[in-house]
Order: sequence, then structure tokens, then C-alpha cells
Amino acid sequence: MLSGFELDLPDTLVGVLDLIADGRGTPAVPLAGGTSLIVDMRARRTMPNAVVWLGKIPELRGIQVTQDHVRLGPCTTVSDILNSDELAGSGVSLVRAAEAFGGQMVRNAATVAGNIACNSPASDLVPPLMALDAEVILESRSGSRTVALDRYFTGYKEDVRRTDELITGISWKRQEESSVDLFHKLARRKGDAITVVGVAVNMAVSDGTCMRARIALGAVAPTVLRAKRAESMLEGETLTPGLIEAAARQATEEASPIDDVRASATYRRHGIQVLTARLLTQAWGRLT
Amino acid sequence: MSIGARTKRFDGPSKVDGTALYPGDIPLDNPLHAKVVFSNRPHARMVSMDTSSASAVPGVVTIVTAADVPMNEYGLTMFDQPVLVGVDGTGRSAVPSDISRWEADQIAVVIAESIEAAVAGAEALVVAWEDLPIVPDIDAALTGDTLVHGYNGKPTNVFYDYKIRRGNMAEGWAAADVVVEATYEMPHQEHAYLQPEAAVSYIDDEGRVTVKIAGQWIHEDREQIAHALDIPDDEVRVIYPAIGGAFGGREDMTLQIVMALAARKVHALGIDRPVRSVWNREESILGHHKRHRARVVTKWGATFDGKIVAVDADVYMDAGAYNYTSNKVLGNFHVAIAGPYAVPHVRIDSMAIYTTTVPGGAFRGFGAPQAGFVCESQINKIADALGLDPYEVRRRNLLGEGDPTITARPLPIGITMEQVLEECATRTDTWRESAAERDVRPFASLPPSDSAVRTGTGIGIGFKNVGFSFGFPERCEATIELGGDSDEYDSATVFHAGADVGQGAHTVFAQMAADALGLPVEAVGREMSDTATSGDSGSASASRLTWMAGHAIGEAAAVAQKAWGDGDRPARGHYRYEPPSSEMIDPDTGEGAPFITCGYVAEAVQLAIDVETGHIEILRMVCVTDAGRVVNPLLAEGQIEGAVIQALGYTLTERLVVHDGRITNPRLSGYLIPGVADIPRDLEVVNLELPDPQGPWGIRGIAEMPMIPCAPAVIAAVHDATGVWIDEFPLTPDLVRKHLRAAGIT
Repeated sequence: MLSGFELDLPDTLVGVLDLIADGRGTPAVPLAGGTSLIVDMRARRTMPNAVVWLGKIPELRGIQVTQDHVRLGPCTTVSDILNSDELAGSGVSLVRAAEAFGGQMVRNAATVAGNIACNSPASDLVPPLMALDAEVILESRSGSRTVALDRYFTGYKEDVRRTDELITGISWKRQEESSVDLFHKLARRKGDAITVVGVAVNMAVSDGTCMRARIALGAVAPTVLRAKRAESMLEGETLTPGLIEAAARQATEEASPIDDVRASATYRRHGIQVLTARLLTQAWGRLT
Repeated sequence: MSIGARTKRFDGPSKVDGTALYPGDIPLDNPLHAKVVFSNRPHARMVSMDTSSASAVPGVVTIVTAADVPMNEYGLTMFDQPVLVGVDGTGRSAVPSDISRWEADQIAVVIAESIEAAVAGAEALVVAWEDLPIVPDIDAALTGDTLVHGYNGKPTNVFYDYKIRRGNMAEGWAAADVVVEATYEMPHQEHAYLQPEAAVSYIDDEGRVTVKIAGQWIHEDREQIAHALDIPDDEVRVIYPAIGGAFGGREDMTLQIVMALAARKVHALGIDRPVRSVWNREESILGHHKRHRARVVTKWGATFDGKIVAVDADVYMDAGAYNYTSNKVLGNFHVAIAGPYAVPHVRIDSMAIYTTTVPGGAFRGFGAPQAGFVCESQINKIADALGLDPYEVRRRNLLGEGDPTITARPLPIGITMEQVLEECATRTDTWRESAAERDVRPFASLPPSDSAVRTGTGIGIGFKNVGFSFGFPERCEATIELGGDSDEYDSATVFHAGADVGQGAHTVFAQMAADALGLPVEAVGREMSDTATSGDSGSASASRLTWMAGHAIGEAAAVAQKAWGDGDRPARGHYRYEPPSSEMIDPDTGEGAPFITCGYVAEAVQLAIDVETGHIEILRMVCVTDAGRVVNPLLAEGQIEGAVIQALGYTLTERLVVHDGRITNPRLSGYLIPGVADIPRDLEVVNLELPDPQGPWGIRGIAEMPMIPCAPAVIAAVHDATGVWIDEFPLTPDLVRKHLRAAGIT
């Protein structure tokens, strides 16, 4: 059951920033799709006194693809991502993650900024975004700053965002022709299931050499994280099955999975190995 | 002819457009709101409960506690549970009321002007507990260190048992060329019906304590309410509005008794207002029983030509905190251990065991799915050990008409197991072509490594008794009233108590009445599921309702037609049908004929398994049933498909986690029933419609049979694909990987 709270419906970004900067009592909390926040409020895991709805500001929603960059408005829904022709060509791993995201009704409501802000290690959108080297744009009344998504999360349910800041955009560089980005998740049923292991891979190859490797892991540590040592084993190298296996094994070392109701740590570690190896093999195969 | 017509459900449109009124939706004039408070203690003695702070919460009207229960005991087949746990009184019951034996034992009902006030009142209750040792599972219970029901005088947590002693085991083992031994572990299963528990209660204009709720047997609900309130049955009225699924999960009481107590207490305060309570999903999963988890340690012997000669088994069934229907479930479990096979030498000991966990109770199949998993896994292993075709090994052991079962009596006449098996064999004959030839690409979004995806096929068969068995006094009443202004009647009304839990019972009742009366189905009105207007129908369970109601409606129609002919206006016919009786089995030998009639099933699956991720995809599945003559094929097909999908959930995804007496995943985000994408695209449902010689119009029963052989068929297919037998489920990827890893598949 929801306890009482004040709901504000500002129609400008400045209005939102004023409300969340207001120091009365506990801070006002931004509400986008509500698929995480409202669930938490009903379960009384969080009980904000004030909630600010972002849905009256249309410019916060949308996908912009320019010559060099892709930028998502914070209130872009998971369904928007799924239905975007542009993303199919410049961020297809994100589209794959959107396909595997929740159920239809959740996809229609849940937003990209919400999926970042809810700070879940099992987030589906964060691994592909992290593997794409995405950045998060944070704005407050005192200005704006840009944080690499890779540096955004600081611990379980902890991040760098101040309560007076709003995520106002997520952007990444458009990928060169000779690159591939992939995502796959293991879950306990085919749809509407929380991720057991999620892996995103982004690779660029030039003249038979891996120029860039990104491996992002979901649901296997307190935050989504990059397996940077595994990545560095690959960059500058010509990939072989043996090297891919070794890098996948290294990725399992960089994770710290736990046992929970969905799977054991043992299964998760094995899942990282299997997914990472297969996605690297697939990426390398497409680029060579 | 109305029998065999694909009549659309009368309640279908209302359930699509949202106008159907489930108990939580019924519009009420100025209702009060009730919050049922759980103990939240798996095992503890209540030292005190102070309601003064709760009563002082603004909006709280009154609080129902154990002191308000005249006969503070509940139980469908034995009274072993306090209606409300509390320190102040047990009424006249022998059951000590001050002990919580389960985290969802109910301790109070807070009644208030709003839901918020009721919740605030519940949170303000001050309860002191003295924790007792938790008995979390069968192993802990069998030590006997802590007795869950010590007052019953037994020095053990085993509270019910059955035996079978048939032939001579030494002779059986001497004749066996191959012996297959295993220990099987069967999991809990949650009913996960769409509609969580909800109820409305009030005193009706004839002074009856009235409860509107979703249940399975209004007269049993009425009897249980009347018992606890210590008033005559006819001072209680139970009405079922729309029911959002049941599957056995509404056989036991959840809100029935406490909401009756709530209505009476409010009325006694001079307040003339209805009371409503609606559980959320978490309360539903915590607050009602589950399919029993169980362990079976068993050893079977067979000859080289595949004849089973000996079956030895110990059945350990976790009943949880209270009996509910465990003693009856155990009986069904017990006699189904050897399935539809003739076995000359048998020893089986089965026991129901108390623990301080969620009670086990009725759930589609009622013990037969657990027994079926054991039996069909054993015969699949025997086939594998002997290099025999799994269909052929079954043919060599099937019970025919007149053959003694393991309880030394034949199955009821009309055995069609062989026809069902052969139909399944025919339908799967083409499965020899490989998945690749059919261009099936499982796990399409993740290209597998070359050797990771393997395919396999498996089968299972089974039967299920229709109707309450083991000597239960089965009955079903129906009343029909004929109307019309001319010499010929042109309309009818059926009065029937039977619960339409979503299976379409009320539509089928009208079809049967229309057929018996020679009327179009549209001319048959329905007065349903109200103890004030209908006689006892028995329960909507045990695959029995259409069979029993068919007999009663057919006879009531004849009585009404005679009354019409005799000039009665209105012409009414009432009939109470009592089927041929069944027998309780002998306590020492297990001998007896426990069943009235049976339905038969066979299922085959072809699956793909990714041995690296442990993921399984059902490529195709066939379910062949003999439900006898089908009244409404449209409804039957839906019901069978639903049962198969529920069985796949039981087999693959549904994992209830019970830790230290507590369910740790009481939500549908953590307890995963199959979603749309998990349903096999290629699912074939075949109904042979071989008439039951005892059934009305040749009807048998539909509901439970497809639940029984799914898990062993899937497990056999996993073995076919990987060479690994798995003796437990659900087959979560994690569990599959654990077994494959142990078998050296990395």
C-alpha cells in the first residue's frame, strides 16, 4: 500500500530542478516510468514525502542521432528503444537488451534514465550502454556535468548523482563500421524475468587486430561493471579460441556474484564464462 | 444437441471487459475494511497480545482475536489448526491456540474505516512471543526432537501413514534381472491463480452470517464456518461470485471463517455495514497451502523382457504445519506409486509429516503428479537399462480390465490406458526427423557453440481417479425448474452449488440440462453457487464436478419432466446423486478398491537443451488424454492446454524457496510461472473421448490428468539429450548445470 506523498507535475526542466533542489525535509524524488520507484514505495522500501513527475516535459523523451553521437532523452522508454530504426544501426546491443527487458507493459513505461537511476546491478540497459562507453549528463540548478557511465555507480545502490541532480541525457559516440556490439542475458524464463547474468560486448577490429574490446557484466557484482582486465587481454591482439576462453575466464575473476533466489554464484560465474566467450566469438567472427 | 457443442462461456465477455465481479470488486454501500494479521513466526508460543494501542488508532472499529472464536479449531478432515492463534481461549477445542506453527498462522483481524487505518491498526498490535525451535524440513521433523503437534500424544511428527504389502519381496528380487534404485525429491508448487484471496461478509436480511468469497465447495465452507462459530449450518450462507482460478488452492479456508467472525462482531456492535478484505499477492502466496514437497526412496526390479516384478518405496510427504487435506493427498500419492502397471510384489510405506512450514494441500493432481514423477522416471530408467523402447516397456506392464493393481483390486471398468498410449506413440512417430530438418532454432538470440545444443525426446503416462475416493461419501445435488405457458415447457432454470472456478462449469451445467431437456442452451437459466438456493454439489476438485453434476442434472431433469407431465406449475425436479461407493484401503496390507472411475493421459516432449547454460526449450509436445465424452470441446481444449502449461511450470520454472520456515520469494517476480513466450509453439492436445461406461453421457474427467506425466517426460528427454538422469526438479538452469557438471559435462 502506498503511503501519502506530495506529487508535483512541473512542465519545464527548470521547474523540476527547482523542486528537487528544494531542501524541505527529504528531497523530492523524480518519477519517470515508475516501474521501479512505485514498486519500492508500495513495499515501503522508500517513502519520499514528495515526488516530481517528469511526464509533462516532452523534450525529455526522444532519440537523437547526429553525425557523431547518439543521445537519448532521460524519459525515452524501453519501447521507444525497441521501435527505433536509428538505434538498430547505432546501438543494436541496446535494442537486444530492450527486447529482453521486463514485460510489454513495463517496457511501455520504463525509461532509460530510470533504469540507470534505480541502481540495480541486474539492470538490462546499463551493460550495453556501458560497453558503448556511454556518458550520463547530470543537471542541477548549479550547472551540468557529464559522467562516464562506467564511473557512475559507486557501490550497491550507490551512485554519484546528488539528490538535486537530474539525469537529462545519455549519449555515446556512433560506432564505426568495423565494430559490433552485442548483448545477451540469461534468465529463468523467456520474458518478464530478472536477469541472472547479462553480458554486453562491444568490439572494433582493424586489419585483423582487435582495436577495442568492451565487456560489461550485469547481475554478477554490486554494480554493473566492466571486465577491464579481460578487455585489455584482447586489445591489440588477433583473437583465437584460446585467447577468447582465457579472456572469458578472466571476466569471471572480475565479477563477485552472490547466491540468491534466482541462481547460485557458481552458476553465475559459469554463465559469465559462457556468454562472454560466445559473444566475443560472435563479434570476432562478424568482423573478420 | 448441446453435448459436444463448442458453446462459448457465458461469463467470457464479462471477464474480458472487466465487468465480472470477483469478491474484491463487488460494489458495497459504506463498507468496513479488514486486515488479517499473520503471526510472522514459523514456530512460537504467544505470550501476550495487547490490542489497546491498535484499538486506539483513528478509524479502527474493532479487532477480532482468538477470544472471539467459540470453537477455535479448523480442519477439512481433522481439526488441528486454531482459526486464530491467541492466548485468550480455545473455545471448546483440544487444539492449543497459543502456538503459531507457520509464518502465516492468523492472529487477528483489524476492522477499520479504511484500509490505511486497518493496516495502521495491525502495525500497532503489541504481541510478545516465545520462539520455539523451527522444524524446517522432513529431515528435521523425522528426528522428532521438536514435535509440531505434541498435544496429539504421538511421539513423532509422522501423523498419518499407509502401507501396501503385496506378494513376497524376496521372490520379487529373485525374479529381477535389473534393479533400479533412486531417491526422488519433488518440490512445492504455488497455485498462482490470477485472483488473490478476497471476501465480503455481512449479516443478510434473514439473519445469516454471509460470506461472499472465491472457493471450491460452498457447503464445505459453510460447515467449517458454522463449526468455528458454533452455530447451525443454516445460520451461515456462502456465495461464490466470479472466481479467478482455484486449482485446489481454495479448498482450504483462508478468509472464510475469519470474515464470518468479522461480520458477526461488527453486527454485535450494532453496526450494520459489510466488511471487505482483499489480500495482495504476497499475502496470497504466504497465506494459503501449496502442492506438497516430498521425497521418495524407491527400488524397482524388472526382468530382461521388461516386466516389473517388484516395487519397494518409502514416501515422505511434508505436510507442513497442519493436515489440511494431507491425509487424503497421501492416500492418492501412495496408491499411484506404481502407476498404471501390474506388479506382483510390492512394499510401500507412506507417511505425512508435520513441519513448521507452509501446509501442503490440494493442488491439481492431488498427490498423483508426485507419484507419477517417481513411477514414470523409474520405468523410463528400466527401459534405458534394458535397451527397450519406452513405449514397449509400458505395453508389457499395463493394467487391463480385471487385472489387480498394487492394492489387489482392479481399476474401475473402462480402462483406456492402452489406447491413450498407442495414440501418443502414433502422434510421435514422425519425431524421428531431427530438429535441424524442421529448421527449429532454439536459443536463437545466442549462437551456441557447436556442441552445446542437444535434443532429446521423452514420454510419461498416468491416470487419475475421478471423484473423492477411499470410501468418501460422494454426492451431488441438482434442482431443475421448468417454465412455459403452453403444454410444452420452453425454459428451465438449473439450481446448482458447483463452483465455476474458471473451468466453465456453469456453462457445462447448462449444456447438460439443455441436452437432457431437449431445450436450446440459451433457454436454460442458472442459479449458481449459493447455499441459500442450492443443495450440496460437493467440491470443484478431483476432476469430478462434470461427472457428478452430469448424473445429478440428468436425473433432476427427468424428475422435473415428470412433474411437468403431472401438471405441476412450476415443475421442479430435485435429485441427489450418490455414485457407487469406493473403499478405504486396508491399513496393514493396502488392499481395497479406492476409486470410482478414472481418466487416462500420455504426454511426449521433444526438447533442446543448451548444456552450457542449462537452458531448456520445449520444441514440441503432445498431450493425449481420455477425458471420456466431452461436453464442450472449446473449454476442454483450453483446460488441457492450461494444465500442460501449469505442468511445464512445475517442471521447469516454478521454484518456491522455503528457508527456516519462511517463504523467501512470495511474489510472482521471484516465483516464476510460465509466460506466453515459454508456451511451446507446437503443443498438440488430443482427446480420445472413449466413453466412461459409468459416466453420464460417457463423461470421465479432464482437469488433473495432464498435470501428471509432464515432469518425468521432460526429465526423460533431458536424459535422452545428455545421458544424465535428474531426480529432482524444477529444472532451473542452475539445477540442470549442477547435474551436468557432476556428470562431467563442462
